[in-house]
Amino acid sequence: MPWYIYLALRQIFPRGRLVSPFFLLSVLGVTLGVMILIIVQSVMGGFGQTYRELIVDTNGHLRVETGGVDYRYRETVERLREDPAIRAAAPFAQGVVMLQHRQQPAFPYIRGIEPWSEGKVIPLDDFMIRGSLDDLHDDSILLSSVLARQLRADVGATVDVYTPLMLDQLKEDEVLLPRELRVAGIYETGWNQFDSTTMVATLRLMQDLYAMEGGAHGIAVRVNPGVDEFQVAQRLNEELGPPYRAVTWTQMYEDFLWVLQLEKSVMFFLLLFIVLVAAFAIAISMLLTVLRKTREIGLIGAMGGGARNLAASYCFQGFFIGVCGSIAGTGLALLALRYRDEIVSAFATVTGSRDVLIQFYQFAHLPAHYNPRDFVIIIAAALLLSTAAGFLPAFRAARLKPAEALRHE
Amino acid sequence: MSDVTVDRMEAVLRVRDVRKSFRSGTRTFEILNGVTFDVAAGESLSIRGESGSGKTTLLNIVAGLETADAGGVLWKDLKAHEQSPRALCRWRRDFVGMVFQAYYLIPEMNALENVLFPARLRGGISRTERERAAALLEAVGLSGRMESLPATLSGGERQRVAIARGLMNRPALLLADEPTGNLDERTSAAIMSLLLDVCRGESAALVLVTHSPVYAAQTSRTALLHEGRLE
Repeated sequence: MPWYIYLALRQIFPRGRLVSPFFLLSVLGVTLGVMILIIVQSVMGGFGQTYRELIVDTNGHLRVETGGVDYRYRETVERLREDPAIRAAAPFAQGVVMLQHRQQPAFPYIRGIEPWSEGKVIPLDDFMIRGSLDDLHDDSILLSSVLARQLRADVGATVDVYTPLMLDQLKEDEVLLPRELRVAGIYETGWNQFDSTTMVATLRLMQDLYAMEGGAHGIAVRVNPGVDEFQVAQRLNEELGPPYRAVTWTQMYEDFLWVLQLEKSVMFFLLLFIVLVAAFAIAISMLLTVLRKTREIGLIGAMGGGARNLAASYCFQGFFIGVCGSIAGTGLALLALRYRDEIVSAFATVTGSRDVLIQFYQFAHLPAHYNPRDFVIIIAAALLLSTAAGFLPAFRAARLKPAEALRHE
Repeated sequence: MSDVTVDRMEAVLRVRDVRKSFRSGTRTFEILNGVTFDVAAGESLSIRGESGSGKTTLLNIVAGLETADAGGVLWKDLKAHEQSPRALCRWRRDFVGMVFQAYYLIPEMNALENVLFPARLRGGISRTERERAAALLEAVGLSGRMESLPATLSGGERQRVAIARGLMNRPALLLADEPTGNLDERTSAAIMSLLLDVCRGESAALVLVTHSPVYAAQTSRTALLHEGRLE
């Protein structure tokens, strides 16, 4: 072992004591920084991952649309279903309606689907919490859970539906009669935004409400497992040609996904300051060590220890602090993430904020996604900053002249 | 100066006309004004002088820790005064051992590790080095305190460890700066006797800086540093 590493390790783990308190405090700073960064990045990653899964589960991988009403959608659906890369394709139509139940109004998006084909693209059955998808007919609808609560409508209730077409009727002074539809079921995806603003009807009912006369707004597509949906979209755009356009889920939610990524990056940047503060603490404690050990540094120079190696000894201490802090921080972060629901639950119980958490974060459980790239970036940043923190004391130690250092009082 | 020079062929250390001055404000103090002496292998030279006479400065120049304004220092045939700091550092590791008044033991290491440290500066530690370190500690009467930390040793014991450390790399030249300065009379006598015996046994040339005429008299030759010159 090179002498400068041996010296560094002896200063960190002195004989007669378990560990140097300076080292312990420095490691603690890095540990906290790494732990918080990993927890936050993993939870942010978990939110991102959950949102991505929900986007795919509620939209499919691709959407093939014309930009208007497509009256030839049946041929296109058949063509897509024959594609070996595609697992399922289902036509849909969507728009905004006004709902009313017991004087409670709501303005949700209505999605018209083919119940027999939609389930293969969007696992609506899995989301049903009351009622059944099989009960969805042309005189009934499915309500999302938050919307149902808002309207105080349960399965079997009858709701009034007003469509934008009725505005034309109003202009012509016709009597405005809403469509009365029965609630056949209630679904919940777990995505608060989706669960509070959507309802589902049959495609035929939607065509009727929107006077689309056998048309659809688009076709939702789910590709086979392992198939790259982006390549499929590119190929479909070439094969189908205008007016058809295949749009992937990432294109559909481009802005939202960008915001998610931006949030994660900003959190990383802000929390990196914890490691930066820890690095300053390392620099200060090591600078203090250099001052305390000025005569020892002079002695080592007098015995023939080179200035560069002496500097390397302090840089190594910074690096070693970074390694220990990263290991401890990663371990504690994984432990905290393992018991995150228990921790959040205890926190929410103590503060009485469980409902607020669910409403604000839109998830009942705290998701976490372990991205090795995040771990590598966080640990590399911690190691870099810790090692850099050793540079100043290392530079000072290297600059000390042995004769002057030995005279130091 | 004839009493402080030896045959050119035997000399381990040759110091020739070394001059050193310091500036303080507008005044210049001539600390060393043409110091010349030789020391041969196995020989010991003591340098006495008043406080501030430049004894430690002379020792630092001999060790290559400070540069002289003029003159030269030869370690055997190597012109130390012409070497780069890096080369000098490397040579010092192999050629010079040093013992200080304040011991300067590394507090995080035990006695054996302190003695072994100069060998670590040269490269790895093998069984041979460990055995030599143990033998040196035994020679200075500390075979039972090898695992002891400096903080648990008495002043005399610390200086014994420092002497063993100074001799670890079998230096041709051992420089001792007031090695008994912090010790009581009885311990000082024992340390001096030990230092001279060990240097003789290791065939190392010893340059000893001391205030004490008693201990100076125990060395092969003695010189007085007065007004920048050796007398």
